[in-house]
Parts: sequence; C-alpha cells; structure tokens
Amino acid sequence: MQNITIHTIVNNELYIRTIPVNMTLLQFLREDLHLTGTKEGCDEGECGACTVLVDGHPMNSCLVLAAEMDGKHVLTVEGLAEDGRLHPLQEAFLEVGAVQCGYCTPGMLLSGIAMLNLYPHPTREQIRKEMEGNICRCTGYERIADAILLASERLAGETEAH
Amino acid sequence: MLPKFDLYMPTDLAEACRLKGEGAKVVAGGTDVFVNMHGGKDRSDKVVDVKNIPQLQGHSFSPENGLDLGALTTHRDIELWDVIKKHYRAMFEGCSRVGSVQIRTRGTLGGNICNGAPSADSIGPMMVHDAAVVVAGPANERIVPLKDFYLGLKQLDMKEDEILKRILIPAPKAHSGSFYIKYTRRNAMDLALLGVSAYVELDGDILKTVRIALTTAAPTPIRAEKTEALLIGKPASEALLTAAGKTVLTESHPRSSWRSSAEFRLALLEELTVQALQEAIAQAKEA
Ligand SMILES: Cc1cc2nc3c(=O)[nH]c(=O)nc-3n(C[C@H](O)[C@H](O)[C@H](O)COP(=O)(O)OP(=O)(O)OC[C@H]3O[C@@H](n4cnc5c(N)ncnc54)[C@H](O)[C@@H]3O)c2cc1C
Ligand code: FES
Ligand code: FES
Repeated sequence: MQNITIHTIVNNELYIRTIPVNMTLLQFLREDLHLTGTKEGCDEGECGACTVLVDGHPMNSCLVLAAEMDGKHVLTVEGLAEDGRLHPLQEAFLEVGAVQCGYCTPGMLLSGIAMLNLYPHPTREQIRKEMEGNICRCTGYERIADAILLASERLAGETEAH
Repeated sequence: MLPKFDLYMPTDLAEACRLKGEGAKVVAGGTDVFVNMHGGKDRSDKVVDVKNIPQLQGHSFSPENGLDLGALTTHRDIELWDVIKKHYRAMFEGCSRVGSVQIRTRGTLGGNICNGAPSADSIGPMMVHDAAVVVAGPANERIVPLKDFYLGLKQLDMKEDEILKRILIPAPKAHSGSFYIKYTRRNAMDLALLGVSAYVELDGDILKTVRIALTTAAPTPIRAEKTEALLIGKPASEALLTAAGKTVLTESHPRSSWRSSAEFRLALLEELTVQALQEAIAQAKEA
C-alpha cells in the first residue's frame, strides 16, 4: 500500500487521516496537524529536537512512520499545558532560565517528562544519562538539569498533597 | 522526506518471509533503515514492517533455559530488566550504551544483529553469552550460533527469504560473570571506537570457561578464540591476563577510520581486554 488511514490520538484528540506511508510522524505532526511545536533538527536521530511520547515512550519522530501510529497515543509539547496552566516542568524551565533559543526545548520537555515518570527522584547523574539524546547548543545543560530537579521536587510535593 | 515505497505490515511470519524474498526491506525499529533512507543510501521501493508478527515479540527468562528474546526486544527492554543486570552484565553494559533513550526505545536486538555493524554494541555481549539466533524461512527454521552468523562485512548467514525470529541465550552458570567495555570519544551518543566483551566461569581460581568478543576490531563482530584458548584451565593471574592482552592483537584486524587510527585501536584493545577480563572475573566472584 502507498496510503493508509490511521486513527490516532494526539494530545487527547482523535484524528482520522489518510496519509502516504512514507510520511514520518514528525511530518504528520507538523505538516498535517500543524502542530509545529515539535522541531526538526537533524532528521537522523541524533539531536532529539523531534522527541515525542508514543504511548508514554520517548521516540525520535523523524525515525517513526506516521503509518505506525494507528491506535496509538501521541503526546507533543502542545499537549502539556492543562486548563491553561503550564506543566510543572515547563514552569520550572521558565523559572530557572533553561530556555535560550528554545529550539531544543519541546524535545527536552518530553524527554524530561518520560524520565520523571520512570525516575521521580532523579540524581543529576541520572538526568545526564537519560537526557543524552537531546542536544542543546545554547544552555550548557546545567539549567536544564536544574529545572528537572526543581520539577521533580514539586511533582513529588503534589502527589504527597493529594 | 523518505523516498517513496510500498509498505506492508503483515502479522504472518511466512508472509513477511515471502515479501523479503521478493526484495522488500525489513524494518523493525527503523533506527538504521530510516537513517539510511533519509540519507539517500537506501532506495528500497518495498518495505515490510515486522513489528506486528507475534513470533518476533516478547521476551522471557527462566533459570533453567535462560533467555528467549523475540527479535523485536529493544535495547531499552534489556537495559531496564533486572535479570539482565544480575546475570548478563555484559548485555546491560552494551545495550544501555546504544545511542540515546529514544534510540534504545525503538532500536531492536534483531535490527542490531542483522544490520551487523562492526560497532554494534549488543552483538559482542550476546556472543560471549553464547547466544544463538533462530532464523525462520517460509517453511522451516534453523538455529545458528551468533558467532557463526557473520560471513563477512555486512554478510549474514541468512537467506533472502529468511527473517531473524528469536535469540536464545543459555541460563547463567554458577560462578560466572561478564562485562563489556565500550570506548568512545564522548560519553553519550557515540559509536564504539573499540569494544571488548568478556565472559568467564570460575572453578575456584581457575578460569574454567572464557569467551571474549571484539567490537570494531574487524570487519564483523568476532570472537577471540586464540586468546580464550590461552586462558582456559589456568589460574587468573595478572601475568596471564597481560599475556591475553598481547595475544588478542594477533587475532584482530582493526582499521583506520576518521574516528581513530588502527594503531590507537590496537593499543586500546590490549588494555581493554585486560580490563574486561578483570571486571568479568570480579562479577564471577560476586555471583
Ligand atoms: C542516533 C543513532 C545512534 C545510534 N547509536 C548506536 C550505538 O551506540 N550502538 C549501536 O550498536 N547502534 C547504534 N545505532 C544503530 C541502531 O540504533 C541499532 O543498530 C539498532 O539496534 C537497530 O535496530 P532497529 O530495530 O532500529 O533496526 P532497523 O533499522 O529496523 O533494521 C536494521 C537492519 O536489520 C534488518 N532487520 C531488522 N530486523 C530484522 C529481522 N527480524 N530479521 C531480518 N532482518 C532484520 C533490516 O532490514 C535492516 O537491514 C544508532 C542509530 C542512531 C540513529
Ligand atoms: S530531528 Fe529527529 S533526532 Fe534530530
Ligand atoms: S536553548 Fe537553544 S538549543 Fe537549547
């Protein structure tokens, strides 16, 4: 087949689309759904700017076919804020100044969230290891790690409060 | 933009074999295939995605039979599985250092094996754990020891209509240990400039069984059988390990590339062989 119809849930919204099979998930998000928060850096898995979560797992959307997304949940940076309130990790990025040009930020956020789901109390060493697939040319990474640590404290506080 | 192709997503293994036999490119995680396609190096006009085939899925461990890994098992599955860290340490060291979390989440053992790069991080560790691969054709299947699977640069013992189905790895033996050392220029996201895997079984102080595999030291991943023979049956002394570091040089053929000169690779090989053996022995003593 050269075209395929997929039912996919992106940021909690169902989309039914017929697409060419050689379309990447990155192209689908940006060009079909006009969700341009997800960035293209290298198109070969090296930079992480295109990172999204598929059923909760971080993937380079430049190396995934949109055709594979039938029945899957995709989370992009546009889906992080809830009821007009930024995700705690987004807030932490703003507060500590972990964003400069911002090109890596959407991918950093998604990788950061996947990591916090797996390791709610990460060490700095763990952050370095788990975030190795996201490259930033501006910040020198320190503040990105600071932001993740800050968010981990706040998220832990939130779960305790509930 | 990926080149145009026809996509097949069969759930039937024999159907996938037939498509491969007709020239379709197999894709599992796509972390090698789609990079090659983006780069214009692969212009296959038929692609068969094998991820929906049940016989290639799943992974399990039993103390009697060891590991039974579907070809689709990802590096991330291996990295996060406590059984691996405990009993198959070299595999943890290899798989947890493939690319990034994103690449490990998608990249499969089957893809790493079939891509067959000399730098593949999971192959040496699986070789020293005496892995065998189950290769399935349209009608029947056969089992090939992983160490015999590589015939030459990117040449596999796999027919045109065969697909790698599963990977079988024996149960851990008493007093055994393993390790893999990957040498890279930077800590993250780099291919092995050189890698050494070692597995040992101890009988008191004696090296009862030894297996060594080399990464980026020849056109294919290889076992260092001469060095193994030198070590087996002897007490694990410092002098013996030093001698092993020298012997391994006689059975490897690293080449010069933009990453490193052959001379530097040989110097590394000597040192890392000793270190990998020491680590594997330390693991075996703890086990
Ligand atoms: C940014 C980046 C970093 C990387 N870093 C590393 C690294 O550090 N170490 C490392 O070893 N590798 C690395 N790789 C390479 C790659 O991720 C691995 O080789 C991975 O295991 C490939 O698995 P896959 O499922 O994605 O393979 P695919 O791309 O789907 O397939 C790879 C090859 O195997 C064939 N194939 C796949 N499955 C089967 C099967 N079941 N039967 C028959 N043929 C099959 C395909 O036809 C193709 O030729 C990296 C890749 C990228 C993009
Ligand atoms: S654009 Fe996908 S990893 Fe760089
Ligand atoms: S903020 Fe510019 S690339 Fe990270």
